[in-house]
Parts: sequence; C-alpha cells; structure tokens
Amino acid sequence: MAEHRGSLWQAARAVFWSFFGVRKKSHYEQDAVQLTPVQVIVMGLASAALFVLILLGIVWLVAN
Amino acid sequence: MAHDATHAHDDHGHAQPSGIMRWLTTTNHKDIGSLYMWFAGIMFLIAGTMALVIRAELFQPGLQVVDPEFFNQMTTLHGLIMVFGVIMPAWAGFANWQIPLMIGAPDMAFPRMNNWGFWLLPVAGFLLVLTLFMPGGGPAGGWTMYPPLFIQGGISYDLTIFAVHILGASSIMGSINIITTILNMRAPGMTMMKMPLFVWTWLITAYLLIATVPVLAGAVTMLLTDRNFDTHFFNAAGGGDPVMFQHIFWFFGHPEVYILILPAFGVVSQIIPTFARKPLFGYASMVYATASIAILSFIVWAHHMFTVGMPATAQLFFMYSTMLIAVPTGVKVFNWVATMWKGSMTFETPMLFAIAFVCLFTIGGFSGLVCAMTPVDIQIHDTYYVVAHFHYVLVSGALFAIIAGVYYWLPKWTGHMYDERLGKLHFWLSVISMNITFFPMHFLGLAGMPRRYADYALQFAEFNAIASVGAFLFGFSQLIFLYLIIKAIKGGQKATDQVWEGAEGLEWTVPSPAPYHTFETAPVVK
Repeated sequence: MAEHRGSLWQAARAVFWSFFGVRKKSHYEQDAVQLTPVQVIVMGLASAALFVLILLGIVWLVAN
Repeated sequence: MAHDATHAHDDHGHAQPSGIMRWLTTTNHKDIGSLYMWFAGIMFLIAGTMALVIRAELFQPGLQVVDPEFFNQMTTLHGLIMVFGVIMPAWAGFANWQIPLMIGAPDMAFPRMNNWGFWLLPVAGFLLVLTLFMPGGGPAGGWTMYPPLFIQGGISYDLTIFAVHILGASSIMGSINIITTILNMRAPGMTMMKMPLFVWTWLITAYLLIATVPVLAGAVTMLLTDRNFDTHFFNAAGGGDPVMFQHIFWFFGHPEVYILILPAFGVVSQIIPTFARKPLFGYASMVYATASIAILSFIVWAHHMFTVGMPATAQLFFMYSTMLIAVPTGVKVFNWVATMWKGSMTFETPMLFAIAFVCLFTIGGFSGLVCAMTPVDIQIHDTYYVVAHFHYVLVSGALFAIIAGVYYWLPKWTGHMYDERLGKLHFWLSVISMNITFFPMHFLGLAGMPRRYADYALQFAEFNAIASVGAFLFGFSQLIFLYLIIKAIKGGQKATDQVWEGAEGLEWTVPSPAPYHTFETAPVVK
C-alpha cells in the first residue's frame, strides 16, 4: 500500500483530466504505475456526482 | 500430413457437425462473428428497403405509394431494425471476430452462451418482421415506443415488445461475455493500457449495455402490463404518467446512442494509424475520453424531450450537460486529425471511409450541439433537422465505420483482398449519395417540415425529391458492397498475414484467413 500513499489526490487529478480528455504523458505514466482500478472507478463516480452538483449550482445561479 | 490437411477444421479430437448444424451448434468465436455479420447484413437489406419505401412516398407531396398507416409502420420498423437488428449485431460481430484475435485469446470466455446470444437474434428479427403480417399491420408508434400509441395498438405491439426483450437478453449475454473475455483472457504482457482501442471502446460499451438494457427491459415490461394486465404505469386516465416512459426510455436511449458509436470510434482509431503509418496520437487520452463520454451519457437523457414539459432549471441542466459532451468528443476528433498530421498516408477504401467518418460524424456532432440548445430545440424538435442530425451520426458515423471495418479486416477473415477499384467506387457513391440524401433534411427541418408524416406541404417538394434520389442511389450502391464481400469470400488475390503495410497488432500475426483456432498457445506481448 505504501506505493499508493497520497494517491487519492492523484486519482482525482487523473479523473479530472480524463473529463477533459487529455493527460500529460509523464503524469499518465505515473498514474499507470501508482493508481489501482478501484481508486479510479470510485473517484470517477464521485467526480461525476460532483460534476452534476457543479452544473446544478451553475443552473441555480443562472435561474436566480 | 494428409490427416492434418483433411481435418484442418476439427483438429481438436472430436467430430464436428457439418452443414446447417455446424452453424446452429458452433461455439467458435469466428463462426459466431460471421453469423452476427450476416444477420446484420440481411436485416440491413430489410430495413434499408423500408427506408426506400419511406423515400419513395416522400418523393412527391401527396399520397402515391403507400397509405399513411403503412408509412408509419415503415418508419417505426426501419428505426427499430436499424438500431437493434443492424448496428448492434454488426458491432457484436466485430467483437466476436476481433476481440480474441486482438488480445491473444483462444476464444470468447463463454462460448456456449455466445452461441445462444446469437441465435436469439433471428428469433427477435423474425418477430419484428412478422408484425407486418398481423391484424392491423406492424407497430406504427415510432421506434421509441411512446405511450399512449404503444398502449393502444394491436398484437403487433406485443410482438415488438417481446422482440425488444429478446434483443436485450442477447445484448446482455454478449456484454457479459465481452467483459469477461477482455478482463480475464488477455495474453501475457497485454496490460489494459496496451489493449487496442477497439477493445477498449467495446469494454466500455459492454458496461453501458449492462447498465442500460435492463432499464429498457423494465420500461417495455411496464408497457406490456399496461397493455395486457390493466396496470396504469403510463396511462394518465388511471393515474399513470406517459412522460415517465419517455424519461425511462431515454435513460436507456441516450447511452444507447453511445453504444452504437463508441465501437465506431474504436474501429476508426485502428484504421487511421494503419494508413497514416503513425501510432495513434494520444492513446491514453482516447481511453480517458471514451470513459468520460460513457459517464456523461447517463446525465443528458432529457435533451430528447425538452418539449414535453419540464422546469426551466431541468432544461438548463440538460442543455449544459449535453453541450459538455462535445469536449471529450472534440478531443477524439482532434486526436484522429493529429494522427494523420504529417503521416505517410495512403487512401485505400477503409481509410477513405474512416476519413469520411471523421468529417461527417463531426457534422452530425455539430448539429447535435444545435439541438442541445433548449430554445432552438423547441423549434426543431420532431422536424427533419433531427432526422438529418441522427442520420449523420448513425449512417456516416456508425454505418460508415462498420463498412470501413469490414474492408479493413475482410482480407484477414477471408484470406483474399477485396477489389480495390470497386471498393473506391462504393465509397464515392456512398459518400456522395449519403450527403444528397441527408443534407437537404437540415433545410427541411429548419423550414419546419415535421417527421413521421407521409405527406408534406408544397414548399418542401424540391428538397424531398433530392433526398429521395440520394436515398435510392445510396441504397443501390450498397449492393456493390455485398458483391465485393461475396467476391472476396469466393476468391481473389491472396492476402498476406499483415495485409496492410502499416498494420500493427496481434490479429496481423496470424495467417490470412485466420485459422479456425488461433492463439491456443497464448502469445507474449512485449
């Protein structure tokens, strides 16, 4: 588990860039070694929920 | 040696049935892949003929060829069969043929379930075609099966619902098989991020199918009980809500759009690097973008129903989320163009279709963005603009990618090169006639011509006549494709193992045609 330490933030960054669709090669290679599929999937679903909340926030701002 | 030569197909120690029983009982991924492709091809001819009936009627204003009720049956069955009976089975055919070859697996994970998954399809296809011969004719409520029309119709509506159930069961079995094969049967060294992009796109597609097909099954089951068991899920008179059907249907329906197009992204991502003789630009970003598109596809469904009534906040939410899907899709288009940039390109038929895909799918994507804007959509909803949009995405998108993939892998499947001159003729006729058919529909839609009517006002006559001429040209051009496939099966110039100079990947390491059994000993991927 030691090699995955601090990787929650790394998983969040990887997922953020995946929503945009690009990732710097050196960071991608780090991701490939250090992140587990479970981390990426959990962070992906959490980020999707966050994405929905952000959109709802924008909608709320526009509508009010 | 003589023994080997005469038993090339059944060298695994027991006799194999021959004739029709070979195909009924086969558990071989290549056989089943071929069955899927032939099924898709036959259904394409049936649903394509329905499209020509539609275009013949719309050639002129007024009613000349069919009566309006039959016209609506044609639009409904054309849509249902093209989506569930052509594009999806064709992709399943590619998955069966190619995934084991591309990941170095000897077969699919569940070969018997694979057989069953395929043989359910002809049953469903038969039920759908049978509806036309039922009292009252086929279903005429539109491929989206909206109540109240789909609750009110005759027995053909029940048959349609059963057909959709069976098609869904087949899809789920196929998906489980594909996921298990990809996750468990890759050759040593074939890590996830070394998988060909076609395999990646199918893996994500299979998850989409498992997540959404049960939702569709639930929706049509509720329709069935509303029709036959006096429930009122969608019947407003009994306290139900027909709009709820639309929400449930499109919660399936929008990911379904990506189920149809993600494997197309995969095929094009195989073909362009081969003929540009460069590795795919941004492989990892392609994987990420595919995953993002898949996730976003679940939160945009209500953009199909802006006009049925929803709060302004919901309209804003679905408008924003829909427009944001353009970001990862744009990344993909950028990556394909960047792959071609400064490549040593040649323009064999698969590459021509792949380039047409990139250009024309982008037009379909942009018109999708137009439809995504709620105030605009309220004007163009249910007009020919929407028909133009989704045909650019599904004909010049999904179908062109299927055709490109067939040309690309046909030499590997048959052992013979197709006729390149006729292939190019097929391409140019298809791409020109496709645009003649569907581009004028943008103008018709913007001018207000509604979908799903057998007749129209006089001011729409010219563009409809043009579209009908294009449709017949497109339809008959596909006979060249059929001829080319049969010709390549029967003989022709022998294909090399690699087939294409720039082709890379495990499938090009096996002989052409691919032997009945491949990778019985797993290859090692470096």
